[in-house]
Amino acid sequence: MRTSRALRPLAESLATVALGLVAGAVLIWAFGHPPGAAYRALVLGAFGTWEDLLETLAFATPLMLTALTFAVGVRGGLFNIGAEGQMYLGAVGATFVAGMVPMPAWVHLAAATLAGMAAGAVWALIPAALKAWRGAHEVISTIMCNWIALHLSMYLAINLLAEPGRAERTVPALPTARYPVLSEDSTLTAVVFVAVGFALLVYAYLWGTRAGYELRLAGENPDAARYAGVRPQRVVVLTFVIGGLAAGLAGASQVIGRPPAWSLYATLGNVTTLGFDGIGVALVGRNHPIGGILGAVLFGALAQGGRLMEYEVGVLSELVRALNGIIVFAMAVPELWSLIRRRFLRP
Amino acid sequence: MADVVDGGVSAPAPRVQMRGIHKVYPDGTAALRGVDFRLHPGEIVGLLGENGAGKSTLMKILSGLLRPTRGEVLVEGHPARFRNPSDALRCGIGMVHQVFTLVPPFTALQNVLLGQEGAGLLRALPEASARARVQALLDELGLDVPLDVPVESLPVGVQQRVEICKTLYRGTSVLILDEPTSALTPGEADELFRFLRRLRDRGVGVVLITHKLREVLEVTDRVVVLRQGMVVGELSTGSATAENLAELMVGQVTGLRVRRTPRAPGQPVLSVRGLWVRDDQGRLAVRDLSFDVREGEIFGVAGVEGNGQSELVQALTGLRRFEAGEVRLEGQAVPTLEPLALYRRGLAHVPEDKARFGLALGFDLVENSILGRQRENQFLRGLGRLNRPAIVRYARELVERFHVVAPDLATPVRNLSGGNQQRLLVGREVSKQPKLVVAMHPTRGLDVASTVYIRELLVQLRDVGKAVLLVSADLDEVLELSDRVAVMYGGQFLAVGPSDHFRRETVGLLMGGVVPTGDADQPRAPSPR
Repeated sequence: MRTSRALRPLAESLATVALGLVAGAVLIWAFGHPPGAAYRALVLGAFGTWEDLLETLAFATPLMLTALTFAVGVRGGLFNIGAEGQMYLGAVGATFVAGMVPMPAWVHLAAATLAGMAAGAVWALIPAALKAWRGAHEVISTIMCNWIALHLSMYLAINLLAEPGRAERTVPALPTARYPVLSEDSTLTAVVFVAVGFALLVYAYLWGTRAGYELRLAGENPDAARYAGVRPQRVVVLTFVIGGLAAGLAGASQVIGRPPAWSLYATLGNVTTLGFDGIGVALVGRNHPIGGILGAVLFGALAQGGRLMEYEVGVLSELVRALNGIIVFAMAVPELWSLIRRRFLRP
Repeated sequence: MADVVDGGVSAPAPRVQMRGIHKVYPDGTAALRGVDFRLHPGEIVGLLGENGAGKSTLMKILSGLLRPTRGEVLVEGHPARFRNPSDALRCGIGMVHQVFTLVPPFTALQNVLLGQEGAGLLRALPEASARARVQALLDELGLDVPLDVPVESLPVGVQQRVEICKTLYRGTSVLILDEPTSALTPGEADELFRFLRRLRDRGVGVVLITHKLREVLEVTDRVVVLRQGMVVGELSTGSATAENLAELMVGQVTGLRVRRTPRAPGQPVLSVRGLWVRDDQGRLAVRDLSFDVREGEIFGVAGVEGNGQSELVQALTGLRRFEAGEVRLEGQAVPTLEPLALYRRGLAHVPEDKARFGLALGFDLVENSILGRQRENQFLRGLGRLNRPAIVRYARELVERFHVVAPDLATPVRNLSGGNQQRLLVGREVSKQPKLVVAMHPTRGLDVASTVYIRELLVQLRDVGKAVLLVSADLDEVLELSDRVAVMYGGQFLAVGPSDHFRRETVGLLMGGVVPTGDADQPRAPSPR
């Protein structure tokens, strides 16, 4: 009874992923490619060899964190789409400590990681404060903060963190502040353990502590939360801070945990869209930290496997992005169906 | 507009007729049980009844918002099936709801035109061409509405006129108004009534949903009284009196008797002095209330909903700020907006809407069993962690002791019946070992077994010396359970006294805002202390 209830969201997510893949097959076919061969290449590219699998996980690492940002927001009753900007600042913070503040080996790694997380959290405090004390809707404020973060981060990357003679990127992380690469043939580093560990920690916090209970209560039923003596402002700030920590870690992971650059591009090219992609991942993962990990692996597999699909079958890699979108769309199908039934099919 | 004019001649068939209407909601509540209703052109019909009598449900069916489970609607003698309110509007039936459906920053003109023929997703509202027609309609009806001011800056009474105009502009000849005066000042209400009479004289059929006896007597031609989903009386207003309407509305005492032995009350546990509370719109909803609830007594507050009961209870339970006055729990002043502090000092609160305040429907039984108690040490371990085994044990205890029927403890509370949800909630609150229990509508919508169970539980609490404040729109419940009764109307207690001093009819009148005269043995003037 209990297990079947717990597994139901998983089954639903798998069904929508399947639905999305079928719709994607139609799209691939429409572009004149054989869907069977394309998907074979996709799967082989993502999971065919040990290195492919590791590369899939490397793509998945930041996504499970930005998904966490969105998922925690939803659990706390917020539509926090600010992971993108919080992640930029996280990358900047990590770059600064990793590249410009020499420290002993392991301390440096920890400090750079924490700096990234802290920068993300501080950036998240802006929409948090606007929401908690001024009632500004978080969708508006996080979108605006994303743009400000984009230009602020580019400014900092170019002016503060730039490496002389290398206009296209910032100073690289010093070797003392780099996560160890797990396999020479992939870009996966030990930061994946930190990411998974952080997701599990947030899971334990939300479902295992009094504060996590109150956060979820405020998201589930704000009136009942008031009845239970939960202060809404506190929940808003807490939710944003946890999300900011996750997004900051996502940004940091791409600088101090992803070869070969070990730095932030001046265009932010090696981190852009990771925050927005996390929203889709969170939806597929049913706004659950564990589901987010699984969803991130799926999207990582699409990103990694898509390369081989393009190479072998000639399917444009943009179609892989379309596939992401279709799967997220498919998540809405059950609700869409009931909407259609309500609207048009009643007697 | 053509319809309005055509309707002027008296037609043989009723303008609209409803036959054998049943409505069962998905949760099993039977809101209507075989109701017949008809409306002729050029009459004002009052639809009278207590909360939950089925007035709004019946009219929502007529206006296409709800579908009947059984029964038929006839327009001009022909069967009609409405899929949505637009269908009903096409048949000339429009409803003005208690909560307006205006777009606040739009002007009155834009609001009237919104959703009309000719306005499309990609086309601008035909403001210029329609202005003359809207103005003509307003002039014709004698309504004064400034067309170019954002409606949010208009007073409520004028907003209501915009809402009515919006409905009539679509050619409505059957106008349904749901508690139209609840937000109006007395002056605005009088003006509305004058307007409704003019509409009637033009051949429009008007249905006035209300629980206020005075309004029914003042403006309607015919009254239909509903109780528990059935028509219990239909009479022409000329032959009706406040007394017989009140009697029809509240009915006779029903079965569910709970034994209550006499008991001398003890010290005051809750003392309220000069309490003023505002509602969400900033209006004064509770006006200068003073009363005590003592150990070992149930103090019942009767009244039709919307007379300040919700605001009173919320103020007493730390959910709403009070404007002025003093509330003491066991002699100590209570802080505002600190429900946890109140719980610690012995308050148990069974809120008016369990699904809204008292439970998180998506959470399971285990998590709901500590809602509001999540900071008590017995449910915590070090580092702010929840002591899951202790919580599960406690949830199991609640389920067994209060006979909650659920597949297992991990079931989301959403999947429980209303009766079982309420047993869990009441059980949780009662097992706090409270000194004061505040319960609002504790048995609303519950099955008979749960109703009796919860009523008996409240009496048991009283018998062991707890103070109980019972606020309910169910008159039988209040009269049966309470040691003392107050009738609340317009934010005040119109009468307070021992429950056996009240007759049902008197309370019915008081609930309708009529203070009975020349009845010497009735407690009349508010005697709070």
